[in-house]
Amino acid sequence: MDTLFLDFLQNTGFFLCDYRNLIMILVGMMFIYLGIAKDYEPLLLVPIGFGMLIGNIPIFKGFGLGIYEKGSVLSYLYFGVTQGIYPPLIFMGIGAMTDFSTLLARPVLMLLGAAAQAGIFITFLGALALGFTPLEASSIGIIGGADGPTAIFLTAKLAPHLIGPIAVAAYSYMALVPVIQPPIMKLLTTRKERLIRMEEPRAVSKREKIIFPVIAFLLCCFLAPAAVPLLGMLCFGNLLKEAVVTERLANTARNGIIDTATILLGITVGASTQGDVFLTRSSVGIFLLGALSFAVATACGVLFAKAMNVFLKIKINPLIGAAGVSAVPDSARVVQTVGKKEDPTNFLLMHAMAPNVSGVIGSAIAAGVLWSLMV
Amino acid sequence: MYGLNAITANNGLAIALVGITIVFSGLVSLSIAISFLHKFLHLYENPKIFLRWFSEKTKTQTLPPITSDQRVAVKQFSLLLNKMPSHFSLPRLLHLAQLRGIKDPHSHLSLLISLGAVFPDHDGFFCWNHETVDHILQGVRVKKKEKIQ
Repeated sequence: MDTLFLDFLQNTGFFLCDYRNLIMILVGMMFIYLGIAKDYEPLLLVPIGFGMLIGNIPIFKGFGLGIYEKGSVLSYLYFGVTQGIYPPLIFMGIGAMTDFSTLLARPVLMLLGAAAQAGIFITFLGALALGFTPLEASSIGIIGGADGPTAIFLTAKLAPHLIGPIAVAAYSYMALVPVIQPPIMKLLTTRKERLIRMEEPRAVSKREKIIFPVIAFLLCCFLAPAAVPLLGMLCFGNLLKEAVVTERLANTARNGIIDTATILLGITVGASTQGDVFLTRSSVGIFLLGALSFAVATACGVLFAKAMNVFLKIKINPLIGAAGVSAVPDSARVVQTVGKKEDPTNFLLMHAMAPNVSGVIGSAIAAGVLWSLMV
Repeated sequence: MYGLNAITANNGLAIALVGITIVFSGLVSLSIAISFLHKFLHLYENPKIFLRWFSEKTKTQTLPPITSDQRVAVKQFSLLLNKMPSHFSLPRLLHLAQLRGIKDPHSHLSLLISLGAVFPDHDGFFCWNHETVDHILQGVRVKKKEKIQ
């Protein structure tokens, strides 16, 4: 009886616990706190945070419980991450929620979404310089796209062993957009520039909105075919929304499907951050590079907007360049907040949505390009 | 391998340049396409604009045969017109024509107007067209564009 009791005790979490599991449990609790108390991306941080708790319960290896063990329930759910199934489903939901009107009204703002993607490629170089392999560097660089599903999708294809740290870094920085972006935006712009008022966008017809996803998909995917899974689903979701006759499908895409995919993705990504796998030197490097990537992407967007003003007759507020990173709609909200601090009657949110949604398209193209260049 | 050596060894700069170029080309071509989209749709919704374009006919007008006297008068008028300001009054032209002794100035001026060599500027004055006068003198056909509304 003593032996049985001793065996049981040796299999408990208290006995098997490692300091790394405890650290990750604390990080998970912090994610849950930030999501609930601070309202930082709660739909992502709460599932990821709880997933971290699940993944870091010390378990006896061989029971078939861990996410990395063959045949476990979690490993089946994680299959959707490693095979890149959830990100396109999330993209379909995003497409079904996104209104591209402001982009259609002023297509030139799309360039800001392209400029912000420079952060991806600059970070790619930084990661190479730090000794990461090209496949790993590509996956790290994509964090600068500020698009969690894209980062997970590309990492699943190129460096599956880094999904945990990259997904956590990408979603953490997305949640920290209101903290990371404002200082960079203020540093790179003058008060006079921040006060610029944007002209009212023209009215966009329903027909334009319906045709746009088809044209966008064909044009971008003929140029970068590897972007098909993400862009295809994004444009398809948007077509469902704009077509009106498919309202039921659009509703399912933007509610049931995106919610299910987000829950499964969040919980499994969180569970994949087991202390012994996650807390490595490369994870620290990924977090540092991720922050750099985000900052560079923001700076590129703002600087490009300033450069555009040299040539444009009707000036644009360079703050909206920061919305070129595709954290929809957080970075657009940040632009609105920073602009409103200078002039409470200046409403930039609507204008910032244009580079913001073009950033989503841009990061999907960038992921496709990196995938095709690496494979 | 670290630093610049790692970037060079992995062809990093080329990959980054190609990557950013493709992203830019994709979004630039998309922005160009959608900037024309509403214009195309406007044409599609208002096909009359198309019809107006194609209804612009080019008509070839044949000059009526002119006599040698008329040709001489037109030549004299052209010499006179050369010295006139770009916008002139018709009575002044007639007055000068009479002073220079041009034969039947009224009828010859009427001929120039009917052939489009002298035409109103819609501000009460008249202008003249060098080319048309030259064509009259050479006896060539004059091409005239007419818009059918």
